[in-house]
Amino acid sequence: MSVRAEVAAWLAAEWDPATMSAGRPRTEFVAAVVEAGWAAPRWPRRWFGRGLSDDDGHVVEEEFRRVGAPGSGQDRHNLYAATVLSFGSDALKERFVGPMLRGEVAMCLLYSEPGAGSDLAAVRTRAVPDGDEWVVDGQKVWTSSARTADYGMLLCRTDWSVPKHRGLSFFLFPMRQPGVEVRPLRQITGESEFNEVFLTGARVPDEHRLGGLGEGWRVLQTALAYERSVMGDRARAGRSDRGMAEVGDELVRLAAETGRLGDPVVRQDLARVAALRTVNEWNALRAKAEVEQGSSSSVMSLGKLAMSRILHESARVRTALAGPRAMVEGPEEPIGDEATFLALNAYFTSIGGGTDQIQRNIIAERILGLPKEYEVDRDVPFSEVRGG
Amino acid sequence: MPAFAVPPEHADLRAAVRRFLTECSPEAEVRRLMETGAGHDPAVWKRMAGELGLQGLIVPADHGGAGAGRVELGIVLEEAGRALLCAPLFATVALAATLLLECDDADAQARYLPGIATGDTVATVAVSAADPGRRPPGSGVAAAGTAEGWRLTGEEPYVVDGHAADLLLVPARTPAGLSLFAVDGRLAQRHPLQTVDRTRRLARVTFADTPGELLGRDGSAGPVLDRTLDLAAVALASEQAGAAAFVLERTVAYAKERVQFGRPIGGFQAIKHMLADLLLESESAISAARWAAAAADEGDPDLPALASLVRAYCSDAFVRIAADSIQIHGGIGFTWEQAAHLYLRRARTSAQLLGDAAYHRERHLQRSMT
Repeated sequence: MSVRAEVAAWLAAEWDPATMSAGRPRTEFVAAVVEAGWAAPRWPRRWFGRGLSDDDGHVVEEEFRRVGAPGSGQDRHNLYAATVLSFGSDALKERFVGPMLRGEVAMCLLYSEPGAGSDLAAVRTRAVPDGDEWVVDGQKVWTSSARTADYGMLLCRTDWSVPKHRGLSFFLFPMRQPGVEVRPLRQITGESEFNEVFLTGARVPDEHRLGGLGEGWRVLQTALAYERSVMGDRARAGRSDRGMAEVGDELVRLAAETGRLGDPVVRQDLARVAALRTVNEWNALRAKAEVEQGSSSSVMSLGKLAMSRILHESARVRTALAGPRAMVEGPEEPIGDEATFLALNAYFTSIGGGTDQIQRNIIAERILGLPKEYEVDRDVPFSEVRGG
Repeated sequence: MPAFAVPPEHADLRAAVRRFLTECSPEAEVRRLMETGAGHDPAVWKRMAGELGLQGLIVPADHGGAGAGRVELGIVLEEAGRALLCAPLFATVALAATLLLECDDADAQARYLPGIATGDTVATVAVSAADPGRRPPGSGVAAAGTAEGWRLTGEEPYVVDGHAADLLLVPARTPAGLSLFAVDGRLAQRHPLQTVDRTRRLARVTFADTPGELLGRDGSAGPVLDRTLDLAAVALASEQAGAAAFVLERTVAYAKERVQFGRPIGGFQAIKHMLADLLLESESAISAARWAAAAADEGDPDLPALASLVRAYCSDAFVRIAADSIQIHGGIGFTWEQAAHLYLRRARTSAQLLGDAAYHRERHLQRSMT
């Protein structure tokens, strides 16, 4: 039987959207998906997979998408399970990969610090060995879901005598313990999606280490690659989080509603934003076609930069349409509220996950082949590097 | 995605055209032709037809052409744009041959398309290529029926390659409405303009009781011209995108080789960030032009709105890339001997052809909202 037929038959027998799409039945269905090996079909059978090729993996995902069933494709999307599988000991994998695929472990990321933003390798959270454990002190920031997380992916410094990229280690860090304090961070939009996490004498067993001692940077790169692969479609189109596609029509509607559709300056702006959005969609399709044809695609890495431009530019037009209403926020003034929210939240994309400036460096170096940035601290023992 | 998959025959076509243009249109040759009155080399023009069949690319096989589509034409024009090819290719193929194919006149097609395909006929469409918003096609020329046939009177101020055209296809008003006429180029008064872009010529063409032959039905040219101008807009976008991508390549190469302060200037973030932004522009222009060409071949009903969106984007992108290229080149970029300004001249003038970016943005909005 073909993979497609097999997965379709399995879904026909197991998936009932009427009863399973929410709550407890959904959890049970996902557990069955994991048990059957459909959650991570490209992984080996020993680790919850079916050992399928990448192409067959896509077939499995397609069949799940077709019927609207959750739980598949986690070998590409579940960065926690994928990182533990790639770098954890067998004991750690036994304990965590299954629960992670079933969504039973709540996770967060402990990467950025107040002094390590764009320069992530400059983290100063320190881990000091104490028997079979490490004692961790430091401060992390931009951690979403820190309050509810059971574990965090922790990047910290275990060796200060070597240059910055070489003294880092990576841990699956237990969040529910004394010594972990979570404080919500209020964003410029007024929302709180992120937290600061203060670590004071917190502990993590050495068996929770992912990758070798001092190999944390390499582990991080793998984890970041998984994260980036899902980031593109996460840009928010508004407080209510509509899809990007609806936003263009919405601008035209808003122009009509505010009586500005006859304004030639506004009309130019509307068309300009429409072009930015449309062209970005074409770029994404072209990247996909190029990758499918087996060539590397330079278009793909441009998506994030393009998205920041689209978000800032449409927020600018929206603000122009809102006019003085943009001075007022809250549910009584939805047009003004949305304009300000989008103008402020555009920075989520132009700063988060690598600022536009870092992104331009990456594009210039990796795609255009321009010389790499000179890093004064690259080969200096980290203990001698200036922080701040 | 069908629009962006590249079948091997398209890769072959691109490689063949690039090889030919590397040989026949190197910078030295472009500079030589810029100084000539004709503005192109008739021998190369014949070779383009004979060896590669470029003039007959979209001409159907029964008229001596290859019967290819807009995607193939886009590939050729991307390459022509890269090489800054000095030849009436855009006028003859993207304008004139396209118009003949769109108009409902089998006799005219049989009469003119074979000559275009063999490279014997240079042709153009006498639309005032600039500002179609305020000066719609045909608004400058009137045609009257007389006992000896149609006679045209009026003027079109900016006709692409009008000076070289053996065949002028002329939109003109008659009592029945907008109509199309074929005019022998030698019978019109043609005043070559001193173009900013010496690699593409314009002429002011004047008709004074000039004999013309009606194409299609009297008064029926409106939709034919609309469709032709949409397709020509897409073709021009391909040329702009191809040229823009090449300007970026040569600018990146210069940034790697030019050393100041003991390091290549491409290592400075001020330059790197400009180039990264230009890459986004250039790749987006390529995606846009290729998508629109595929949409035209697939008969996409949204083509009119799409064509304008793409034209506006590619015009702006090419101008920005060519302009920033001068800046990144620094002092040498301000000299006549560096080719950077040749591309800026092409970018600035092609951005005016068949409607500027603002005109096309407005047109896109009108067409996408109906």
